[in-house]
Parts: sequence; C-alpha cells; structure tokens
Amino acid sequence: MKQSRLIQGNEACALGAVAAGCRFYAGYPITPSSEIAEYMARHLPEEDGVFVQMEDEISSLGAVIGASFAGARAMTATSGPGFSLMQEHIGYAVMAEAPCVIVDVMRAGPSTGRPTSPSQGDVMAARWGTHGDHPAIVLTPASVTEIFELTVRAFELAETLRMPVIVLYDEVLGHTRETVELPPRVEIAGRRTPRVAPTEFRPKEAGPDGVPPLPAFGDGYRFHVTGLTHDERGFPTDEAEVAGRLIRRLHAKVEAHRDDIVEVETLLCDDADIVIFAFGIVARAAKEAVMVARAQGLRVGLLRPRTIWPFPDREVAKITAGASVVLVAEMNLGQVVREVERAVAGNARVEGLFRADGEAIDPEEILQALAPDLEGAAR
Amino acid sequence: MTIVDIRPHLREWAMPHVLCAGCAHGIVGRAFLVATDRAGIDPDRMVVVAGIGCSSRLVGYLDFCTLHATHGRAPAFATGVKLARPELTVAVFSGDGDGLAIGGNHLIHAARRNIDLTVVLFNNEIYGMTGGQVAPTTQRGAIASTTPRGNTEPAFDSVALMIGAGASFVARASASEPFTLERIFTEALTHRGFAFVEVLSDCPTYFGRYNRLGDGPEMLAWLTRQDSRVAEPLAAKRVVDHLPIPEAPPGLDLGVLHREERPVFTGRRSG
Amino acid sequence: MSARLDLRFAGAGGQGIVMAGRVLAEAALRAGRAATHSQAYGPASRGGASRSDVVIADEEVVFPLVRRPRVLVILTAEAHRTYGDDLAPGGTLIVDTEASDGDDGLVLPIVETAARIVGTELASGVVALGALSAAVDDTDLETLEATIADRVPASLRAANLEAFAAGRSMVR
Repeated sequence: MKQSRLIQGNEACALGAVAAGCRFYAGYPITPSSEIAEYMARHLPEEDGVFVQMEDEISSLGAVIGASFAGARAMTATSGPGFSLMQEHIGYAVMAEAPCVIVDVMRAGPSTGRPTSPSQGDVMAARWGTHGDHPAIVLTPASVTEIFELTVRAFELAETLRMPVIVLYDEVLGHTRETVELPPRVEIAGRRTPRVAPTEFRPKEAGPDGVPPLPAFGDGYRFHVTGLTHDERGFPTDEAEVAGRLIRRLHAKVEAHRDDIVEVETLLCDDADIVIFAFGIVARAAKEAVMVARAQGLRVGLLRPRTIWPFPDREVAKITAGASVVLVAEMNLGQVVREVERAVAGNARVEGLFRADGEAIDPEEILQALAPDLEGAAR
Repeated sequence: MTIVDIRPHLREWAMPHVLCAGCAHGIVGRAFLVATDRAGIDPDRMVVVAGIGCSSRLVGYLDFCTLHATHGRAPAFATGVKLARPELTVAVFSGDGDGLAIGGNHLIHAARRNIDLTVVLFNNEIYGMTGGQVAPTTQRGAIASTTPRGNTEPAFDSVALMIGAGASFVARASASEPFTLERIFTEALTHRGFAFVEVLSDCPTYFGRYNRLGDGPEMLAWLTRQDSRVAEPLAAKRVVDHLPIPEAPPGLDLGVLHREERPVFTGRRSG
Repeated sequence: MSARLDLRFAGAGGQGIVMAGRVLAEAALRAGRAATHSQAYGPASRGGASRSDVVIADEEVVFPLVRRPRVLVILTAEAHRTYGDDLAPGGTLIVDTEASDGDDGLVLPIVETAARIVGTELASGVVALGALSAAVDDTDLETLEATIADRVPASLRAANLEAFAAGRSMVR
C-alpha cells in the first residue's frame, strides 16, 4: 500500500515552498489563496523563518523583495485582485533582479468577480501585467503533486536567474485534495554569490549566462539597488546604450536558459490527428477526454505546458506538426489560443473551447467540442 | 564632540549628485551620516531603503547597502529586510509625498507594528522631482504647480499621525539646525523600535520660487524663524491674498516629541 | 481507465459536509485506492449552499471534479434546489427529511439525528456517512469508522461513532 496523504493544492504549495528553503512569507488574505498564508503562519516559525501579514498586496511583495535582498528565499501568494496590486513590484523585481516567488491562485474576474470560483483569466496578466518590456517565467501545475514540484522549481529558477517567478493555478486545484507522495527533502540550486572582493564588486555585471552574482545585505558588499535603469555598477544612468544593454540582458538571461525553463508533457500525440492544448485543471479534463476518445479508436492527443511563459512555441510547432486540428481549451475567452495560433503558424486548424463563467471545463465539453472533427481522427 | 569626517561614508564615484543648488537635503544626509558614525554602526551592517523622490535619490550617495525601492513603499521593503536579517540596522529615507500620500498606509502600519526601523521623512512641502506639484504637507494658501491659485487643502501633521499610529520614537527637526539633527538622528538610530523623524527641509527650486521665499539661504533662515510658520510668511508676501489667513497659525513643535518603550515586532517566536 | 465512483454531499456551511467528504476520500486511500476531494462554497462561512465532492477510483483519478454524482446526499432545501438535478441516472439519493421535496430516494432524519446524538448539526455529515455506507456497496465500513475516529476530537469520538452507527441503522 502506498504511503499516501490527502493534501490540498494550496497546502502542497506551502509544503513545496518550505521544502525549497523558503524562510520568508509576506501576504495579505484573499480567497482562494489564503490557505497558503495560513500554513506558512503555522509552520515557518518552526523553521526559524518569518511570516508577516502585511497591509496589502503591494507591500507584501515589497517586503518579499526586501527579504530577498537580505538573503532569504521569499514568496507571497494571492489571487486576481491582489495579483493586480502586485504588478508594480513584479516589474521592480525584474528590474532590480530580486529572486522571489509569486503564487496566483486564479479566481473568476475581472475585478472582485466570483471569489470562490476558478478561472484561467490571469494568463496574460502574468505575462504582461507589469508595465515596460520585461521577461516572465510562469509555471502552470495541473495536480496537487505538481503544485508541490513546480513551487520548488519556481524557487530554483528565481534564485538562479535572479528574477520573479510566478506559479499560476486555479481555485479548483488550490482547493482540491488529492493523493500525493511528497519527498521529505529537496535540494535546489541557489543564487550565485560574488567571487571578487567587495572593492572589486560590480553588482550588475553579469557572467556569461547573463545573471549577475548577488550577495546578501550585511555580507560586506555595500551596493546600491534601484528600479531606475542602471549601469553595471547598479547606479542610475540616462545613457541610451547602457539602458538598452540592461533591458536586453534581462530578456537574454531567460532566453539563454529557455530550454531548461520550458517544460511540456504530451499524451499520445505521436499519431494524433487532433491535439488538445490545455493547462492546469483543464488539462485534467482533456486527459480524460483523450482517454475516452482513444477507447473509441480516435487519434486524439494532449499537449500540456508545465511552463506557459516563456511560451513553448517550438514545442507546440513540433508536436502538432502531424495534426490537422489543434483544440485549445482554456477557462477564459481566448488568451493562450493566440499564442498557439502563432506557434502552429497555419500548419493545422486551431479551434478554441472557452469558458468564463467561473465553472471548470469538463471532459464532456471537450468531447463535444471535438465532435465535428472526430470523423477525421478515426483510424 | 569630535568632528566626524563623512567622506568615507560617501560614494564619491557616484557624484555629482542630482540635487539642486540650495536644496537642504544634503545637510540632512550629512547629519544622518554623522549620526551613524556616532551611533557606532558598522557600515557593512547598515541598510538604507528609500522610496521615490528627491530625498530618496540621496541614498544612492551613501556607502551602505542602499535599496532605492518604489514610490511610497520603502517601509514595506525595509520591513522585509529587517525581519529577514534582524542584525542589520535599517533606515528609511522618504519624502513628504512619498511617505504621506502614496505610502501613507505602509508608514502607519510599520509604526503600528513598532518594527525596529528609523524613518526619516524629508518635508519640503512639495513634489520636487516631478516639478513642484502640491503635497499633503503643503500649507494652506501656498502656491504649487497644481495649486496655481493657492492650496485650499489642510496639511498633514505627520508627528500627530505617527504618535497615533503607534511609533515609539517621534521627533521633528529642521535642516536649518544641523547639530540638533545629528543629535536626534543618533537617538533615533539607537532607539529600539519604530523611530520617526520629520525633517523640515527646503525646495528653493519650486516651493521657494513659487512662493517668493528666496533661494537656499533665505529659505533656511525662514525655516529657522518659523515657530509660527503656517501661511504667515506667505500672506505677508501677498501671493495668496485672495485666501483667508488662518486665525492664530499654529507653530510646529520641534525636538523629540514622543518616546516610549513598547514590544518590538520581529516576526519570530523569540523577539 | 479505472472505473470511478463520484459522490456529492450538498448542504450548508456548518453541517460538516467538507469533513464528511474528506473522511470518505481518506478512507478510500487507507483501503489502497485513489481519491480526490473538492469543494465549492459561497461567501458565507455558515449557511448558504455548498458541496463537498469525492471521486474514488482504483488507480488514478484523472479529472477530479464531480459532474453527475452516482451518490448524492442532500441536507438542505437550498442545496436541493441547487444540486437536486445533478444525480446520475440510476444513482443513489439520500435526502434529509426537512430538505425532501417528495423525493424518490432515501429520506432520512439526518440533521435531527446529528443534533440529538452529538448535540450539533456539525455532525450531520457523519450521520450521512453512516447512511451512505449502508446504502452503497462500494465503501469499506472499517476504514470509514477508523478514519472518523482519527478525524474528530477525542472528546467527541464516541458520540460521532454513535452518530455514524445511527446513520447506518436508518438504512438497514
């Protein structure tokens, strides 16, 4: 018999964070993410970590960034309205290159919307919500076990690439309890610290991988951090050439690690005439739909991104190369579908199945959406 | 008292600085550096967090760990730094618009928690960096680029606000009295808990020019004189004669105005 | 794909239906099967219409949400209006006496029994679990009892097990 536990998605997120070495959490209560904060409030003190409930989501991410520069692995979690407030500091964390993890448990919006109902309406907000040109890393787990795994992964990416990483899942996954088997310990790569003496240290001088080393405040390196466009000394500049170099490097460090960051999972795509593209809870419905369709001899497969940003465009192009139809199912009125269309580039017909009423897409709806094309998928 | 050479605490490589001639913020910054030295703070363990604005740009020239954060949010960033690494001495430089308008909520909650920070609020009664717009501290009647006919709103009393919010050390000082500033900063930095110091500073470029208060030296003299500052000098210069002069203009109290011992928030099981 | 059993407890906040769902799912795990539990609720912590869903499968629960439950327990009239039509054809319906709308299924005094034996409506879910365990073949009595015993505070253990037994006896 398996040594299994029934764990809620939000609890798995908190467990993953603690396992990854998170020792600082700042947050503001909001449905449906509050269980993450509650778990952290109970357990971080046992790990000699700090939990603080801030006055809003803006200050929550501000405190997380401050703690990060003081050397802590730090995170916050929120949902739609709070995620809107955090956009200011997501941009700051990109610019100042502050490692941090932000969890957005998506609920139905816009605005206050349906607080206790799921959606996938924040996909583009996670990519483009903060102003200015910036890269983004956003991970999309589809099970309670994967929430644990990808929260751990988010810390590793944040610490090694010196940037904010977003874990994006919906209310259903946040509140669903599933059988999980969790590793007692996990080891992840951390941030790189400088090898030069403090007098030689240039805080924004990157190595070949585009990532500058980061000492903690108090470790003897007295350096300046700013959200203003800055030079390699970390000091503000108005020189266009230096500004361009900085912004390009912030993007290039993600692009350089792109193949390591981007992960997709496929199910029976090799011979598929129809490929379903879905993430999060919708991928679970799609998997069941694929199994039903296959049981009827229909060539249907599933392509599921574990990383939604950077968008897995090369993987989508390759995996759908032999398909005639790609069905994008998402709990919004069509956000990711345009990225899929861009990646498929006319090589297959791209259809959308969208739902934005606060209810999850189920396997039956996907099968119905496939019905017109199933004839072609028959062997 | 010995003279403190502040040059070792400056990032001279980052000069020239961005502040205007006649701006008194430099006097405040100097007094702060003297105080860190007198308080015996190891510069490697000193962190100064700032928001956005003229006062906040000052931190770039201080040779500590300096975190130039976002507009009004410096107390939140400083909270994270201090909670994550309690052995650091953490201070915040903020302006009057930064700390009392966009960042008012963060300021009052940091004070309420009584977290061990020293917050210096530079009050020059105007938004300098964005070009002279009215601030929550601009006195009634004063001219700003967004109050061309005179400010009709009352000004914030930050000292009363901070005492009400729970700050355990609250002081007000003037850039025109640098030795008093040094003493108050030293006390604030060694106070355990949330210490707040409002510093009356000047902005000759905007506030002084719009209100005909003269250049840096004249404004410093005006700051020194004003135990009853509100509206009187402005009215005397008749720039706002269409506005009623408040009866008995209240003076601003200077000095350490509130001090108490209160439990300090550390976010940890053992304080 | 392994066969799955979808169950739903529908009622109001404060009736213990979330706990009943979790107990059912945990008991399934103890019996070596896979299970998921999900819930839907409104803004009110007490009252309102809420549901607590369980899926049990032999190996893996692919889609964790319940659409057409094969077993539906209804504890309030409001939950009846919201979820009454969801039952899969040929499924088992268990309805509280006060919530019944002339239903075909098992109409039982669940809430009243909980209040009488344990002294709180919070135990309604446990009474419902007892009725369900007698009405549905696919549940394991011993693991259910053991899971309930682990889940409730020690001071209320005996009363809850009594409530569970009372639920069972209503059906047998």
